[in-house]
Amino acid sequence: MKKIYRSIWFLFLGELCLGMFLTLKYMFKKPVTINYPFEKGELSPRFRGELALRRYPNGEERCIACKLCEAVCPALAITIESEPREDESRRTTRFDIDMTKCIYCGLCEEACPVDAIVQGPNYEFAKETRSELLYDKAKLLENGDRWESVLSKNIHVDKQFK
Amino acid sequence: MVKLFVDDKEIEVTDGSTVMQACEKIGAEIPRFCFHERLSIAGNCRMCLVEVEGSPKPVASCAMPAVEGMKVITKSDKVKTAREGVMEFLLINHPLDCPICDQGGECDLQDQALFYGRGKTRFVEDKRAVDNKPFGPLIKTIMNRCIHCTRCVRFMDEIAGVHDLGAIGRGEDMEIISNSPKGLGGELSGNIIDLCPVGALTSAPYAFKARPWELKKTNSIDIFDGLGSAIEIGSKDGQVLRVLPRLNEDINEEWLADKSRFAIDGLSNQRLDSPYKRDLKGKLVACSWEEAFKVLAENFKGLKSEEIAALVGDQACLESIVSLKDLMTEFNVTNIDCRPLLSSLPTDTKNRSGWLFNPTISGIEKADSLLIIGSQPRYEAALLDARIRKSWIANGLKIARIGGGDNASYPIEELGNNVNVIEHIYKNKHSYNKILDKSNKPLFLIGENLLNRKDGEGILGRIREIAKKYNSFSDKWNGLAILHSSASRVGALEVGFVPGNKGFNTKDIIDGVASNHIKLLWLLGVDDINLNKKPNTFVVYQGHHGDKGAEIADLILPGSAYTEKDATYLNTEGRVQRTNAAVSPPGDAKEDWKIIRAFSAFVDKVLPYDNISELRKRLANINKLLVIENSLIKGSVTDIGDTSTKLAKNLITPKNINYFMTCPISRASETMAKCSIAKSSLAAK
Amino acid sequence: MIDFLYSQNFINVMFIIIKIIALVVPLLVIVAFLTYAERKVIASVQLRKGPNVVGPFGLLQPLADGLKLFSKETIFPTVSNKIVFLLAPMIAFSLSIAAWAVIPIADGWVISNINVGILYIFAVSSLSVYGIIMAGWASNSKYAFMGALRSAAQMVSYEVSIGLVIITVLVCVGSLNLSDIVYAQKSTWFVFPLFPMFIVFFISALAETNRAPFDLPEDESSLVGGYFTEYSSMLFAMFFLGEYAAMIMMSGMATILFLGGWLAPFNVAILNEIPGFIWFALKTSLMLFIFLWVRATFPRFRYDQLMRIGWKVFLPFSLLWVVLTSGFLITFNLLPVNG
Repeated sequence: MKKIYRSIWFLFLGELCLGMFLTLKYMFKKPVTINYPFEKGELSPRFRGELALRRYPNGEERCIACKLCEAVCPALAITIESEPREDESRRTTRFDIDMTKCIYCGLCEEACPVDAIVQGPNYEFAKETRSELLYDKAKLLENGDRWESVLSKNIHVDKQFK
Repeated sequence: MVKLFVDDKEIEVTDGSTVMQACEKIGAEIPRFCFHERLSIAGNCRMCLVEVEGSPKPVASCAMPAVEGMKVITKSDKVKTAREGVMEFLLINHPLDCPICDQGGECDLQDQALFYGRGKTRFVEDKRAVDNKPFGPLIKTIMNRCIHCTRCVRFMDEIAGVHDLGAIGRGEDMEIISNSPKGLGGELSGNIIDLCPVGALTSAPYAFKARPWELKKTNSIDIFDGLGSAIEIGSKDGQVLRVLPRLNEDINEEWLADKSRFAIDGLSNQRLDSPYKRDLKGKLVACSWEEAFKVLAENFKGLKSEEIAALVGDQACLESIVSLKDLMTEFNVTNIDCRPLLSSLPTDTKNRSGWLFNPTISGIEKADSLLIIGSQPRYEAALLDARIRKSWIANGLKIARIGGGDNASYPIEELGNNVNVIEHIYKNKHSYNKILDKSNKPLFLIGENLLNRKDGEGILGRIREIAKKYNSFSDKWNGLAILHSSASRVGALEVGFVPGNKGFNTKDIIDGVASNHIKLLWLLGVDDINLNKKPNTFVVYQGHHGDKGAEIADLILPGSAYTEKDATYLNTEGRVQRTNAAVSPPGDAKEDWKIIRAFSAFVDKVLPYDNISELRKRLANINKLLVIENSLIKGSVTDIGDTSTKLAKNLITPKNINYFMTCPISRASETMAKCSIAKSSLAAK
Repeated sequence: MIDFLYSQNFINVMFIIIKIIALVVPLLVIVAFLTYAERKVIASVQLRKGPNVVGPFGLLQPLADGLKLFSKETIFPTVSNKIVFLLAPMIAFSLSIAAWAVIPIADGWVISNINVGILYIFAVSSLSVYGIIMAGWASNSKYAFMGALRSAAQMVSYEVSIGLVIITVLVCVGSLNLSDIVYAQKSTWFVFPLFPMFIVFFISALAETNRAPFDLPEDESSLVGGYFTEYSSMLFAMFFLGEYAAMIMMSGMATILFLGGWLAPFNVAILNEIPGFIWFALKTSLMLFIFLWVRATFPRFRYDQLMRIGWKVFLPFSLLWVVLTSGFLITFNLLPVNG
């Protein structure tokens, strides 16, 4: 009996019809994609996008050249050089990130004791040349200044889970 | 011997051992901050607590003598909680500023807090704040981080013998203070940076430069003095950033002199990074190696062999000395010398004991009387000075001095400046003979400068006789110790870089230049001679720094410094040691022996070695021991010096040495310049 | 000359040319929008939006694509045979257009109502293999050549079963004229009595037009782009148009053979009022939708599976059905009697 049933099912292309029916059903569902450049998806506060260096509200840069991010970076994308500044505080003289090497793992952000280096919400930083992706300290600080309002909010929101 | 149990294992230790030593013998790890093997026991950090059966409280193992039948437990819960408690107390006032602390990554407190700490803080009150103290241009202090282990105080008191540091206040209010506001005295203060278990004392010139994990570490030896202390060079991105001492019980134990440690910033200043020749106006202009060799070959042309001379300076390595000697031999030149002006150092390897520090550095601790003649070990070899102090503390070494000098860290009986004192002792007419009579192993420390006199041979001969008389110049105990201040001298003498048949010595060469007899002079890193140069004399300077030697040169061949080459050096006691290249030489500069080898090919007198191992084979031909690292080349007892030479009348005056500026590297160093200023301002006060 | 201009011949020629233009231009427009429809249908099955930027609802997307293809550079591979390379897409394109000459869009709406219409279509669609073989050979590229061979073998194989399906229909109609075939379905569409044949025809049509899941000649993962790997710009566009025109043609064939051509579904007055070409268009659109629907549903076949189905399943099955149908008609004396 089962055999007969199976051969009828086979003869009338049952599996194919089932598949066709499934796709037909999906045709009338609402698309899940969004209209990207015009609409943008919701981002988690932990989103790991473009890197930035933050400042304190008084304008002082946060980074203290501890080099933990440089040490933890698995892609060796970070290069830091440091020396005492005029006021004898520990600061970087060079803070370069090779964004072509960066794998956006977020370990640098986690290692940073002063929340200086962060991965911001910006993911639209495609560039025309490779060299534009070699960020120096000025560029990273500029990123930080531009996104500071979002960055501080994200850090605040995410703090309770750390 | 004492028998006791550590963690249920039976163990025997010598009488007077501490519990900590017993624990270490079975391999139990005891954390500690204040305890240090070479310093006295303080017992104030309490980190080394262990449980002793029968004792109600845990005991500090570093200060507790081991007792027969004692049962020590190092791995109980009680010990663990005790250590956690101590760690918590230590951290109460320790700022959590590891990210900006230079000690981060190599910090005892950091490591031990990880392994023995609680991991969470319960402290909510405010932390203590302490003012930073001025410790001079070498040491940066961040006194908030201090955990009062007093290692620095003990080091300065006991090892360095400079009583500049102390502690005031009690408990939380205790502070380490310095009574010398312009900087710590002595030449060993840098060692307290290594000793400090936290980041309270850090290296000022190295501040914030690099993290320990970034540094490429190269084991090498130091060449700023004649000792050849073992060092570890830390370099990053082709730049030497710091130098740390390495353990070598025979030479430096685990200390390092300040110049060796801090003069390295001179390695990146004033460097010769390309060959230079004089243009028509007489100005030095950079040129290519080919041009330089062309100029040099032209100047060699048509010269008789006696019109050529070569001198070797203080920091030349054995490889370059040998290849220069071989090159000179190719030209039949015998006017070669490695000794200072007027020096009466013997030139035959048979008379080696006339230039070696025969009793060896560690032998100082065996001696029971020491006569320093015309030497200032404090400036010429600071770590040797520390050895003398160590021997004075441990064995009550009796120290006397002829020739004066700055005060030292040990008591000295001054015998005056007159040369006649030597004559008197020689003739057994001096009060010091009484001390020598009682002494079993007298040591005669002869300064190199003492022999730079016309009557040097006479002095050496008389001291030899004195030593012989007191059983101190025999194969059993050779107490004749020549202290060289230069790293190259012993090696150069060993390979025979001395005047050959009818050859000129240094003085003759300099006179020869003045009298226009010498037409070409090759200076291998010679920076401390005064030349009265005639216009048609051609001076070649081969070296790494633009110093005095380069100034007078007509042609400069840029060589490499000790951090940039694999080179052999003999220290003052005749120990064969090697440096290892940590970085590459700047610009067009090359390793020195390669320059000479390349030039030999340029003038068709090819030297028979193409690489360093072939060159080392050549060294082995001279003396097999020269290629065996750490071997000690010993001198045999011969009649060195000459008693028949009459002593001159002039006094033995201490040479005026600015410790911080003795060589091209240290003269180019900013840090050393700061030290020099600090020291002179200290003296002025 | 003037005589000629007023002569009946000239008017006839002009009339035919107008008819051709009236057919080809809408056809090309439909091809263009078929690509749009394909992208939209597949997108909605995959829960995407599909093209929606150019024009309202992205309706101008096909024009943009066409403009892009027009403005691109035509690249001739250096090692290719230029003439054949150029000729191949022209043949492929013109053949798939030429087949439309005999398709009746409505009653009497046909450029050339010949009696052997079905044979003509069969012949023309068989010829389109040449375009592909030429393209593959002229490209002088291994991918193109293998794609062409695959395509040729596949088309030849499935033409056999298509032929047998058509024979079944012809047996029931008794005429090779396409209009006659439609007339024969006045009472019953052949899709009902000959349903299995309809399925075989449809699947074979997929293979014949190189459509998914039988699009092996352009199997990206193994053949890059198949026989048009080396083609770009307008030459590529011609292949593209040809393929889609063939698709529409096969849908039209299915409509004519099984779905009653331009006839209304029921012989009701109101439905009969609606012009025939609309019915034809609706039925063809339905078939085209199924084409796209299938593409969105099934993964690509393996080549040996494709061949096995063609030769071992469809051929015996349709042969059997031919025998059954004719046997049935003869036994019950239902053979159609035509002129």
